[in-house]
Amino acid sequence: MLFSPHPYLDPGSASALFQILIAALLGAGVAIVSSWTKIKSFLGIKPKKNNDDDAENDER
Amino acid sequence: MMMTRKMTNAKSLPSSFRDPSGFLFTRENILYRQINRAYQNDYARLMDSGLYDELIRRGLLIPHAESDQPPLESEAAFKVILPQRLPFISYPYEWSFSQLKDAALATLAVQTYAMQRGMSLKDASAYNIQFLRGRAALIDTLSFEIYQEGEPWTAYKQFCQHFLAPLALMSYKDARLSQLLRVYIDGVPLDLASALLPAKTKFNFGLLTHIHIHAGAQKRFADKPSAPRKGGVSKQALTGLIESLKSTVKSLTWKLGGTEWGDYYENTNYSGAAFEHKKQLVQAWAAEKKPGMVWDLGGNTGVFSREAAASAAFTVSFDIDPAAVEQNYRAVKKLKEQSLLPLVLDLTNPSPALGWDNAERDSFGARGPADMILALAVIHHLAISNNVPLPRLADFFAAHGKWLVIEFVPKSDSQVQRLLTARADIFPTYHKDGFEAAFARRFKIHRVEALRDSERYLYLMERYN
Repeated sequence: MLFSPHPYLDPGSASALFQILIAALLGAGVAIVSSWTKIKSFLGIKPKKNNDDDAENDER
Repeated sequence: MMMTRKMTNAKSLPSSFRDPSGFLFTRENILYRQINRAYQNDYARLMDSGLYDELIRRGLLIPHAESDQPPLESEAAFKVILPQRLPFISYPYEWSFSQLKDAALATLAVQTYAMQRGMSLKDASAYNIQFLRGRAALIDTLSFEIYQEGEPWTAYKQFCQHFLAPLALMSYKDARLSQLLRVYIDGVPLDLASALLPAKTKFNFGLLTHIHIHAGAQKRFADKPSAPRKGGVSKQALTGLIESLKSTVKSLTWKLGGTEWGDYYENTNYSGAAFEHKKQLVQAWAAEKKPGMVWDLGGNTGVFSREAAASAAFTVSFDIDPAAVEQNYRAVKKLKEQSLLPLVLDLTNPSPALGWDNAERDSFGARGPADMILALAVIHHLAISNNVPLPRLADFFAAHGKWLVIEFVPKSDSQVQRLLTARADIFPTYHKDGFEAAFARRFKIHRVEALRDSERYLYLMERYN
């Protein structure tokens, strides 16, 4: 066999369809987190400092 | 135009033929990128929106200058740019865990800044990332497109295959699985990653969705005609997707341990005096020859690479052990070293040329030769463990570098004795005289120093032309 077993099927467009479903869910998550942060900041609760290994990458 | 082309010996690079937006070419050994008219609007947005300046300031994109050189293919051409040239191109199958992880996070950071300026990455290939002054940066200036609200992220599948799947496999299974990237040039297929990952990864929400369910969805939706996609993914949903990928990548870690060579310096029997003497000699000989490019072959965690790097323009420190390379890369980050690149390489089977027509990714050798090679405490592994005759080793080093700093480890050394315990000694010419005779065919031997408090010798040799 020279190519993938299903040469005419495009997992790329399948990925795009899947992305529409999953991104809607994750986007709702972002909305909830961001309103929760707003509520906390309204109540005067400061966000935790990020000091893990990836802090350097966050700065970028 | 044809005349000019012939006269100036210009040619396009075999690594960038896929993108209709433009391609790389060299003319008189200078690297240019032709931008086609098809990409004109996207390029204008990149430059005018402030995105280019922001990414350059953060070290996330390779800088370029606009050039007045004529294009290579003038019919389609819009502009020619001169990107900053990198001293050495490396590939994801040569990176340690943290190098691939930083490349993934750099890609996502670029996507986040792009979205803030109304653009999006149209691909997320690990081959578009290189280490620029020690840090992961995007090298493909033509990867950006103007963002259309509602469009899904075209690069999602590629990101999962090039970054998330290999990182998860390295983190949860074995760091050596990075080598799957050498087989699958467009990243690890998600169904394969899903099958190889342990069941407990289904309890990691990011891996569950972006790898396991994603792989299942590819299979399920593959034979369905694709639905109209307009209005499919809102900007908020896209932000959620990118943030989810970021936190999933950040959650993946690799604990150093079970290393073959990582603790080599503690395990060796030869004294601190020999070690220090070797450091001094490497430092002094590099300072004397001032090499442009140094390759440290068998560099371990980079102790001697750093001695050479002090006098070299750029040093690549290769080692077969991903744990040693990981430690080396962490040191590069910590010390903010800009001219040292640690890479994983098996000298007995170095990176081949890969991809379409075996020309998209260069072999190890095609990326050389170096000005100076360090081969310290490595010859006994190649000659005795791997049965490479000494004259062939001399040929190998002569093919890849001009100056050679090489350590001869005699049979009487306890490290060599360890290698010989489990096998017959079929190496009658493996002694100092045999070594010198074999290497004198290809090299002029300038210096020989007996390393203090040891039976080892360090040589400085120069290849005959």
